[in-house]
Amino acid sequence: MNQAETPAIRIAGMTVRYGRRVAVDAASLEVPRGSVYALLGRNGAGKSSLVRCALGQQRASSGNAQILGEDSWKHRTHLMERVGVVAEEADAPPEMRVEQLAAFCARLYSRWDQKAFDTRASRFGISTRARFGELSKGQKKQVSLALALAAAPDLIVLDDPTLGLDVVARKSLFEEVIAELADRGTTIFLTTHDLAGVESIADRVAIMDGGRIALDEELEALKARFRRIRFSAQPLALEAASFRTTLVKRWGTGTEAVVSNYDDLAFERLRSSATIQSADVSAMTLEEIFIAVAGEGAHS
Amino acid sequence: MFDINPTDAAPIWRQIEEGMRRMIALGALKPGDTVPSVRELAQQLRVNPNTVARAYQRLTEHGVFAVRRGEGTFVADEPSQPKKSERNETLRDASSRYAGTAISVGASLGDAVDELNNSYDKLVREHRRKV
Repeated sequence: MNQAETPAIRIAGMTVRYGRRVAVDAASLEVPRGSVYALLGRNGAGKSSLVRCALGQQRASSGNAQILGEDSWKHRTHLMERVGVVAEEADAPPEMRVEQLAAFCARLYSRWDQKAFDTRASRFGISTRARFGELSKGQKKQVSLALALAAAPDLIVLDDPTLGLDVVARKSLFEEVIAELADRGTTIFLTTHDLAGVESIADRVAIMDGGRIALDEELEALKARFRRIRFSAQPLALEAASFRTTLVKRWGTGTEAVVSNYDDLAFERLRSSATIQSADVSAMTLEEIFIAVAGEGAHS
Repeated sequence: MFDINPTDAAPIWRQIEEGMRRMIALGALKPGDTVPSVRELAQQLRVNPNTVARAYQRLTEHGVFAVRRGEGTFVADEPSQPKKSERNETLRDASSRYAGTAISVGASLGDAVDELNNSYDKLVREHRRKV
């Protein structure tokens, strides 16, 4: 298999246990090269454990993880040169100046691009003379991103990158990510709670729920198959139209349901059935789909 | 340029494709005009550059855009209009969504048609102003 074909990340049958608790349960996923892949899940769904194992920072109880075609755990030291990581809490010694941090990283990465770092820092309005401890939370994230990108990585992993950022900082972060994609085609893997933010840039999403990968597919296909349907009859009519549902609510004599295999023809059959006076269908945002898949009372 | 709505049922690449065709149809982009680079438009709309590239590729395949090697992408000298059958299909899709919304808020057909007229005029006016 040549380089272009091996996925940026491949996780196969990964399980992570802490004592008797199972944090990741036989998870498998593949992140295609050059894609923007968003891993979604509620707190405690197992995202962080999965990401740590994918990066070789922690060893899975069973199964395996590969990055750029190599075993994440065995080759963790040299793989880190090709992978940029922006952690949820950007961390560095508080007394170090930004320029010292950059000098430190420059020695670690053979592809280090000092000019790219300086340009980004100035675009973010961050003085390289500033001490890391004096920066705001958003600025720390920006420094962390600038350090990660200056190493010219093949893969960048962003752990909840917009958490705690204001609207302006969030916008500039996404702009940097978009530019990086356009310029270098870097694969981007992120975990996030900012579903509206990733809805316009993700190629592919996975939803984790209770340690399992509940869903892993192209965002466009996902949005095409999920719809909210309301109609004036009993839920039984959904089965007659062969709709699969994840959430069903009764409203008096009517029904509201989220269907996961929507198609126009099936909906027309439902609408024209004798028992139904009115029916309508609406598109769902990624956030609504997420709630339908991983929210309270959802069943897959 | 134009706005896209990431939460809409229509895929983003299609919204970009339609947005560009609209700009051309209304004269905001003329034959021979340079179109924004993939990178520029992706940043402006805050979308994945791959998505913009996909829309541009379709527009090029359909003869709306022309690519000159080393120079960039332009509006074709005679940008092709969608075929009548394609156009009708697109209109049917969009109007069935609109009709669904109108019914769900309890609007009469007359009110729905009035709003459609207003929106059509407004878009044409806005683009004329920009030209």
